[in-house]
Amino acid sequence: MTTAVTIPRHGGTGGRTAVAARARQVVKAYGVGETRVVALDHVDVDIERGRFTAIMGPSGSGKSTLMHCLAGLDTVTSGEIHLADTEITKLKDKKLTQLRRDRIGFIFQAFNLLPTLNAIENITLPMDIAGRRPDADWLRQVVETVGLAERLKHRPTQLSGGQQQRVAVARALAARPEIIFGDEPTGNLDSRAGAEVLSFLRKSVDELGQTIVMVTHDPVAASYADRVLYLADGSIVDEMRNPTADQVLDRMKDFDARGRTS
Amino acid sequence: MTVWKTSMRNFLAHKGRMALSAVAVLLSVAFVCGTLCFTDTMNTTFDKLFAASSADVTVSPKAAGGPDDAPENGRPESLSASVVERVEKADGVKEAEGGVMSMSVTVVDSHDKNMGSETGAPTIAGNWTRNDLRSMEIASGHAPRGPTEVMVDADTAEKHHLKIGDELRTVAVTGDIRARISGIAAFTVTNPGAAVVFLDTATAQQKLLGRPGAFTHVNVTAQPGVDDTQLKKNVASALGDAGAYKLQTQKEAAAANKDSMGSFLDVMKYAMLGFAGIAFLVGIFLIVNTFSMLVAQRTREIGLMRAIGSSRKQVNRSVLVEAVLLGIVGSVLGVGAGIGLAVGLMKLMGSMGMELSTEDLTVAWTTPVLGLALGVVVTVLAAYIPARRAGKVSPMAALRDAGTPADGKSGRIRAGIGLVLTVSGAAALWATTQADKAGEGSLFLGLGVVLTLIGFIVIGPLLAGVVVRALGVVVLRFFGPVGRLAERNALRNPRRTGATAAALMIGLALVACLSVVGSSMVASATEELDKSVGTDFIVQSGTGQLVVPQAAEAIKKVPGIEYVTDYKSVGAKITSPDGKTEDEGLVAADPTYQEDLRRTTVAGDLGDAYGKNAMSVGDDYALRHGIEVGDEITVAFKAGGTAKLKVAAITSDETNVDKGAMYTNITTAEQYVPADRMPENMIMFAKAEDGKEKAAYAALKSALAPYPQYKVQNQADFKQDLKDQVGQLLNIVYGLLALAIIVAVLGVVNTLALSVVERTREIGLMRAIGLSRRQLRRMIRLESVVIALFGALLGLGLGMGWGTSAQKLLALEGLGVLEIPWPTILTVFVASAFVGLFAALVPAFRAGRMNVLNAIATDG
Repeated sequence: MTTAVTIPRHGGTGGRTAVAARARQVVKAYGVGETRVVALDHVDVDIERGRFTAIMGPSGSGKSTLMHCLAGLDTVTSGEIHLADTEITKLKDKKLTQLRRDRIGFIFQAFNLLPTLNAIENITLPMDIAGRRPDADWLRQVVETVGLAERLKHRPTQLSGGQQQRVAVARALAARPEIIFGDEPTGNLDSRAGAEVLSFLRKSVDELGQTIVMVTHDPVAASYADRVLYLADGSIVDEMRNPTADQVLDRMKDFDARGRTS
Repeated sequence: MTVWKTSMRNFLAHKGRMALSAVAVLLSVAFVCGTLCFTDTMNTTFDKLFAASSADVTVSPKAAGGPDDAPENGRPESLSASVVERVEKADGVKEAEGGVMSMSVTVVDSHDKNMGSETGAPTIAGNWTRNDLRSMEIASGHAPRGPTEVMVDADTAEKHHLKIGDELRTVAVTGDIRARISGIAAFTVTNPGAAVVFLDTATAQQKLLGRPGAFTHVNVTAQPGVDDTQLKKNVASALGDAGAYKLQTQKEAAAANKDSMGSFLDVMKYAMLGFAGIAFLVGIFLIVNTFSMLVAQRTREIGLMRAIGSSRKQVNRSVLVEAVLLGIVGSVLGVGAGIGLAVGLMKLMGSMGMELSTEDLTVAWTTPVLGLALGVVVTVLAAYIPARRAGKVSPMAALRDAGTPADGKSGRIRAGIGLVLTVSGAAALWATTQADKAGEGSLFLGLGVVLTLIGFIVIGPLLAGVVVRALGVVVLRFFGPVGRLAERNALRNPRRTGATAAALMIGLALVACLSVVGSSMVASATEELDKSVGTDFIVQSGTGQLVVPQAAEAIKKVPGIEYVTDYKSVGAKITSPDGKTEDEGLVAADPTYQEDLRRTTVAGDLGDAYGKNAMSVGDDYALRHGIEVGDEITVAFKAGGTAKLKVAAITSDETNVDKGAMYTNITTAEQYVPADRMPENMIMFAKAEDGKEKAAYAALKSALAPYPQYKVQNQADFKQDLKDQVGQLLNIVYGLLALAIIVAVLGVVNTLALSVVERTREIGLMRAIGLSRRQLRRMIRLESVVIALFGALLGLGLGMGWGTSAQKLLALEGLGVLEIPWPTILTVFVASAFVGLFAALVPAFRAGRMNVLNAIATDG
């Protein structure tokens, strides 16, 4: 059994734990009996606060499932997931929705925006839904950071793919969630637009202290992270800190080779 | 063949999405088939009844009218007994039997309760003849054997819990016949509701005809081997004097009876088919929306088919084939449901007192064929435009990441056409209000209604933008971001929103129009009654029965009454000085009638018309024949006697009451008409002495208690009655329009349900970023409410426009007061909001249940 647990560090962040999300012995299985497929096999993981974590792994490794479970989008078969002090694996749909709304931000691979709303309306949507007023200064800062000030009244169809993803990033940041989950946020973008979005994510971690978890299969994208977790067959098999694209690529090749010989 | 296969698979794959369209087709087809089946069954029932109750040949007096013409003196025309003997001697006659039958009777039980039908079926009294055995049998007891015995039909007995020995009183024009029930006779064919009593022959002759020994008809039975036509000839030659008798074979008698019934059935049939047509029209919108959405959702797929070499025609045809399948499924189910509906209607009629037997259920082969043809043709027509659009999808669509295709901006051409149609429709409606001839006015009205309707349908999508935004300001802003999302969703596809709302608009426009006309009718009549009616009390039967003399006597004995007015309708042929004869009839009344009903005169003094040998005419008639006061008119009374009467007054015809009536004094008519043929009162009026109105009203009511067929009404009752009648009529029409409205509501459900499917990813996204189930459901409900309110606003606006134009046109016919029934209009508007909520129930529930992950993962 492999783990990716960090020793909790106390102090420095005002008494709050440095772990933003924690998974313990998480199992996610589909089907029963012969057709039972285990997507997550007793996974233990800690997501560090204020860091940029990338989750990598081949197709079917369970990386998306792990993210969905951590984000409260999917239920687990057994095990516990905590977001800060809240055990989300115990929550009912209503509380879970509230939690997603108030404490989590999302960036999906595609179809991140409501076509009927313009950019700024999309950005403030989670707060509108919650009935909260956006913090005007913060909102301005976020919008400037992602460089969208000129295009706030545009509808999604009037924006390029990269711009759309930047709106999605702004939306995730605007509500100041405890943690942002990205599901291949650059998967649909060309490398230049992808680099742009990833820089913004990096910047938001460095300058705004945001916690981000991103699922990706792109070594270049992973190289923007502070820490890369490798998943294979539902288990965390390795991790790497302060990776470069080449290191990630080598490690991936390594896994592939091992996968073939074993 | 591949086209067929693809269509078949698509159809089966999307059967859920087509379900509501199929239901819309089903409902409309069911209504058509149900109507046809029901009216055919009624026809069969009456055919059987009339065939069974007519003798081989029936001889009756020439003067006797058809089954609908009630004798004005309450005594049916009769034949003397010698006719029976003469008929009996004719060749081929096995038997001739005199019959007596009168419908100018009322039968009451010992509690003065009317035994007659409440559905308009007649009460019939007669003698028990062997001919009756063809349609009835004595179930218990025996036929009446003297003046104190009476036999009643089993249905009536059962309905009113009558048994042998109970007393029945038959109110005839010659007096009341009190008798105890000696027997109960059951129909062997279906009797749809007439109450029938049998008296012994002598009593029937004396009391019903006032002529001992006479008969109303002779039932002739043929010897074996003699056919009815031959028998009729033989009887005619035996009787001689062709001018005095009417001879009918069984077929002819049944047909004559049927004619009076048939026209009523036809009116009912075509009215109901009209409403089915409206439902079809509404259903078209639903089907158009469904196919538009299916095509839009399948854009990539269609693009792929085009890319790999399908022709436009093939794509087009594959959509139409799906429509054919949908039409067939909907119609086949609809035909079945229609037959079920007919049975249901028969049961409903049964509970209202009109007994119909399911054994008579008639399904003509044309019924299912017509239902199927209509269903398929309408569905294919509706799917034609979306199918064409599918054909136009470019192969490039396969490559594009289309997501949810946005509706192209509704073109300027569309706006132009819609505007032109609406404006010309509005102009036609305006012309309606200005018309001074009813004929051209109704032409304008029809044109205006059709043009504005089509115009509104065409510019609906454009109006959607304006109206939905306005509703957004008024209603939705109270719901914060969810309201805004709902507004945007409703506006996202104006064509779809427009079509969905238009379906609702049609039904509601008709409701609004009719409610305006109905309440204007009541308001106009009330105003006129206030102006012209001076009498305190009005006595008349609800069914056109004459006031029998014993009831008239009872009225005249009531204390506290200043005077009573007799009012008789007297049949006559009227020849004006220009030599033209009209079959008009006169009103013969007491001179006090001038006070009871005040009429404006154009010339002369109405009081003089009640003088000796004088009369009045209406100004329409006077104009037609160039009559002036002092001219002499020849009046040939149907009951005998010809008078030359001097025109003493000309009354204005700008009225709803007694329009065109010619008045003369009863004493004048009595000079010419034989006493025993003098018509009985049709209506009676009574004026109370000052200050005694209340007491007189109560006394009148109790004096008429033994005669439950008459209503005693003061002015307030009379107005209320009028209002109730209009209200009832409107309720029936609203009930029939409910079908169209139900289909329209299904349309809203359909649009929402398909939109939810289409927006799966969006919904998933919103749920992921924190939209709660409750908020999601509310968003869909609000979208639904907005669409419904939009439809209601258009419909009510349009309908009030139609109704107002119609009233202005009918003002020429005396419908002078326009009254817009705001409570009704507001109720409909508010109810539409609830309809919207209701329509969103299932789609909202399903959207709420969507799994967030699946929703995100769904391919666009």
